[in-house]
Amino acid sequence: MNDGEIIRLILQGDRQIFRVLVEKYQPMVFRTCMGFLHDKDDADDLTQDIFIQAYQSLHRFKGEASFSTWIYRIAVNASLNTVRKNSGYRVLNRLDSLFGSGREKDISLPVFDTENPESILIRQEHSKWVQNALDSLPEKQRTAIVLSKYDDLSQREIAEIMKTTEGAVEALIQRAKTNLRLKLSSSYKKNNKTP
Amino acid sequence: MNCQLCQKELNAYRERRLSDDMRTQVEAHLKLCAECAESYRIESLADTIINQEKVISPDNYLFSKIMARIESAEETDYRTISPLTRILRPVLIMTSMAAAIFAGVLIGNIYRPSDRNMLRPVELALIDDAAIESVEILSNQ
Repeated sequence: MNDGEIIRLILQGDRQIFRVLVEKYQPMVFRTCMGFLHDKDDADDLTQDIFIQAYQSLHRFKGEASFSTWIYRIAVNASLNTVRKNSGYRVLNRLDSLFGSGREKDISLPVFDTENPESILIRQEHSKWVQNALDSLPEKQRTAIVLSKYDDLSQREIAEIMKTTEGAVEALIQRAKTNLRLKLSSSYKKNNKTP
Repeated sequence: MNCQLCQKELNAYRERRLSDDMRTQVEAHLKLCAECAESYRIESLADTIINQEKVISPDNYLFSKIMARIESAEETDYRTISPLTRILRPVLIMTSMAAAIFAGVLIGNIYRPSDRNMLRPVELALIDDAAIESVEILSNQ
């Protein structure tokens, strides 16, 4: 059964068949959210919101683009909105931590049994640098690099999601990589460490 | 190999997509050029961190949670009062309270005895108010 048939059945009232779409697209939506938010709990919550929004707007899905493109667009827009909303809180958190009462969020990374505490700390620090470098990118560059690196999408697919040309996506990814490299280099230099 | 070509081929080199000849050239350049070597290390590290985030899996109960929220939202929609009712409801309450008070007063008046004097004690009925001396007259004396 293809996505179109599933959507038709959902619109006819078969609510349970929505499970098929959720199970099929949940990993990619979650990865996109992780690419923007870098936190498992936040990404889980946002993934829920995205599927609820998709369910409630299914009647507006015209089938002009594939369902995956459509849900990716919802995921990217929702992630960007959350990032914009969080940036306000981040300023408050920074002020809070400046006065010693704020608590920074733990970094969501899997911990391997063979790792010692020092290497976990170093990995977490490197992870923070990478996340900060990604977060500092302009929205379009950030979207292109997240879809490319986290979801392994081709430039053609990214172009379709972002409603632009493949050439523009290539340029965005190249600029994003250059900016990432510059920001990460400056983080290393600041901390006098090499990766 | 120059730096520009090396930077261009770095992704393919990391992903092991280069031919043997090109791979050897990139490796030779990385040994000689500190800047390209640093770029390579940084990009490799970024990829490692991103790959670690990618292996994190979503919530196992995602579908149940989504359906619970959809059902709850639909129930709320069903119960939601229309804006007209929301405005009319307090107006109706106030009107019905006013009507009840008015009806009470009306019923009270209907059942009022026709001659209230009948309820007055005889002693009080005999008192002639006009005949009582004014206080002012007494104070003048």
